[in-house]
Amino acid sequence: MSIIYVLIPIAILFVLIAIGIFFWAVRSEQFSDLEKQGHSILFEDDKEEHDKSNERD
Amino acid sequence: MSMPSCFHCLEPIPKGFNESVVVNNKPEPMCCIGCKAVAETIIAQGMSDYYKFRTESAGKVQQLVPEQLALIQSYDNESIQQEFISHQGNDKEVLLSVEGISCAACAWLIEKQLLAHSGVKRVDVNTSTHRAMIVWDDTQAKLSTLITSLAEIGYKSYPFQADNEAAQKHVQAKSFVRRLGVAGLMTMQVMMFAFAMYFGMFSGMEDNFEQYFRWISLTLATPVIFYSALPFLSNAITGLKAKQLNMDVPVSLAIFGAYFASGYATFTGTGEVYFESICMFTFLLLLGKYLEFRARLKASEFTANLQQLLPLTARVVDGDNEEQLVSAKLLKLGDMVRVKAGETIAADGQVIGGRSSVDESMMTGEHHPVNKTLGDQVHAGTVNHDGVLTLKVNKVGQNTLVNQIIRLQHSALSQRPKIAQITDKVAQWFVACLLVFASITALSWYQIDPEHAFWITIAVLVATCPCALSLAIPTALTCAVANLTKRGVLIKQAHVLETATKLTKVGFDKTGTLTYGRFAIAKMDILDAAYSEQELKSLAASLERYSEHPIAKAFSDITPIHPQPEQVEVHTGFGVAGIWQAHKVHIGKANWFTQELALNAQAVLFIDQKPVAAFYLQDQVRDHAEALQAELKEQNISRVMLTGDPSTAGKQLAEQLELDAYHGALLPEDKLAIMQKWHGEGQVCAMIGDGVNDSPVFNAAHLSIAMDSGADISKNTADVVLLNSDLRSVAQLIRVAKQTRRIIRQNLTLSLCYNGAILPLAALGWVAPWMAVIGMSASSIIVITNSLRLLRL
Repeated sequence: MSIIYVLIPIAILFVLIAIGIFFWAVRSEQFSDLEKQGHSILFEDDKEEHDKSNERD
Repeated sequence: MSMPSCFHCLEPIPKGFNESVVVNNKPEPMCCIGCKAVAETIIAQGMSDYYKFRTESAGKVQQLVPEQLALIQSYDNESIQQEFISHQGNDKEVLLSVEGISCAACAWLIEKQLLAHSGVKRVDVNTSTHRAMIVWDDTQAKLSTLITSLAEIGYKSYPFQADNEAAQKHVQAKSFVRRLGVAGLMTMQVMMFAFAMYFGMFSGMEDNFEQYFRWISLTLATPVIFYSALPFLSNAITGLKAKQLNMDVPVSLAIFGAYFASGYATFTGTGEVYFESICMFTFLLLLGKYLEFRARLKASEFTANLQQLLPLTARVVDGDNEEQLVSAKLLKLGDMVRVKAGETIAADGQVIGGRSSVDESMMTGEHHPVNKTLGDQVHAGTVNHDGVLTLKVNKVGQNTLVNQIIRLQHSALSQRPKIAQITDKVAQWFVACLLVFASITALSWYQIDPEHAFWITIAVLVATCPCALSLAIPTALTCAVANLTKRGVLIKQAHVLETATKLTKVGFDKTGTLTYGRFAIAKMDILDAAYSEQELKSLAASLERYSEHPIAKAFSDITPIHPQPEQVEVHTGFGVAGIWQAHKVHIGKANWFTQELALNAQAVLFIDQKPVAAFYLQDQVRDHAEALQAELKEQNISRVMLTGDPSTAGKQLAEQLELDAYHGALLPEDKLAIMQKWHGEGQVCAMIGDGVNDSPVFNAAHLSIAMDSGADISKNTADVVLLNSDLRSVAQLIRVAKQTRRIIRQNLTLSLCYNGAILPLAALGWVAPWMAVIGMSASSIIVITNSLRLLRL
């Protein structure tokens, strides 16, 4: 059972990482507009087209 | 088959327009050149996904005219940029208000379009506030290029000057979310260990494990207490400094008291720990507060947006008749300013050249344009309609009429009737009693059993105080607000629901509130039988398309005639002229050609200078105006019309809708005086209006309701904004408010019964803190479930 002395701190480490990611998400405005973020997965980011329009500028 | 509709904006396609754009190898119909250009740009940039995933139709596109392009170019000017640009190292940051964002697909489209420019570092579009934040390198891309490229895909945008209050609220919202996230994540962890210890109590647990779990719980609970729960402590201290007892005082006492005692127990290895109780307590309280805060934030964002009252730039004319765009804030007394058709006037001034009609609806609420010629006074914030005016500035800054009205409104705010404060007073007394009771418990238990005295006191604080009771009102209010928001009623002030149940009198503005404030054809006389009614209407409509005049809007639903008239010209002050099938056609004032023509019609159509049709226009009564009046009458609320309109139209409408009284030709001060007289009679009054002239009276009324179609300043002042401008919502508001009052009473009774029952038990020491938390949670859940009923009203 003494393994929990190691496992629990590791679990806490994961929680800290989760909180870090959460803070990052808040900072990058992901919670200020929930509707847009929900849809963003639908759109393809076709890099090719993107680069093309960059060249044209 | 049904009428073909435009692929881009989904509006019907006018006859005779045969253009299309190839989308995914299939030709799609377009309704106008503007939509076609936008659709072509979107396809060419490889952004056709927009059409696949959008959930709302796009707005009809209007192409930029050279005037607007010049204005956009002026945004590159350094002195004008100072008003709205902030610097981030070498990059510049701007917030744009974007018109026409309707769904998430728009946000994607805008971000993609802007990021295609080299030099643009970051774009963030918010679909709920309709704003786009752009960070870009000014040496590589100009702001005007970015704004024009947005116009190419059909979005009109202009710089937004964020006020400090809005920016602060935004920061606050983020810190709320962070605190809530930390509390939520940590509470889950602490609960997990707490459960291990609960089971340990029954089945036995090694001492060193239990001690280990306690230390882990202490570590995990520490960020919740010192980060998430910190606002409670700081609120309590601020309150105490101002010599006020608020709900946060016992909350902080319970949270911090229990935390330090549990911490002490952990260090010494004696007694009990209650980390899970305080973490959950913090999380639940924060959640309730956050929901309430978000409802308010949304309300303020909605109204602070869109057009600013005053333009950023003005066109100054110098001695050589040369025009120059300057920042409107730099205008001086005596400057000569030119205002072109469709532009907003930047300063108060006297007309020294040109003639035009000016829309003063943002001041007066009346949509009839006012004719302005040499020597007339015009006001900042009003919109020039059809001619070019040259002004000599005679008032700037704080002295302009619009700023005077804003000042009047601020002074009225300080005299606002305060029903809401009563609730705070009750809470103060409650908290005071509670603290006294807790101290008595603590003192008496110190005499009897010093070892248990502390935990019994904490149990008293947790069991009695906040949750159910403090949730009783906010949850009911939040649910009521959510219900109303869904129906397009935006509640901006907390007291609205309380006040709405007590109304005895409602004042109505006329134009824009009881009526639509726009003209419709009420009657049409055919003066020459050679033409059909349809033909004449269509011909009139195709001429009126070229006019910006509000009268022209009455014709906008009619399909234009085919073939279209040619060589169309707008004659300011008269109307529109053109050539149609080799005939001269005119539409406009009845006395355009002869003074003798004694027609009372607002628009007369002439063919070869002979009158052929007369159009009588009337302001339309808003839908459901009668239904609302009937419902208010049933509830014994008296209804009075307060209008600035001096004509008889108001009185007629008041009689038609069976209002109780009518006051016409009122200045904003007069409306204010009438409202204050009503207060003197002990009435609880609401005011429903839409213009800037209503904003002072809004602040004097117990409850103010603005139409969404109204002026922005009135929406900012109002307690309630009807987003769908549907008058029936007022009745819904009163209904929901009354139901909310019922639910709040039930909730208070429930929680007081619970608190009353548990208080003696807790004081007698029969309730352990964990039982107190379970009791608290159970009573809270019952209260929340009861409040949720309001969502289904």
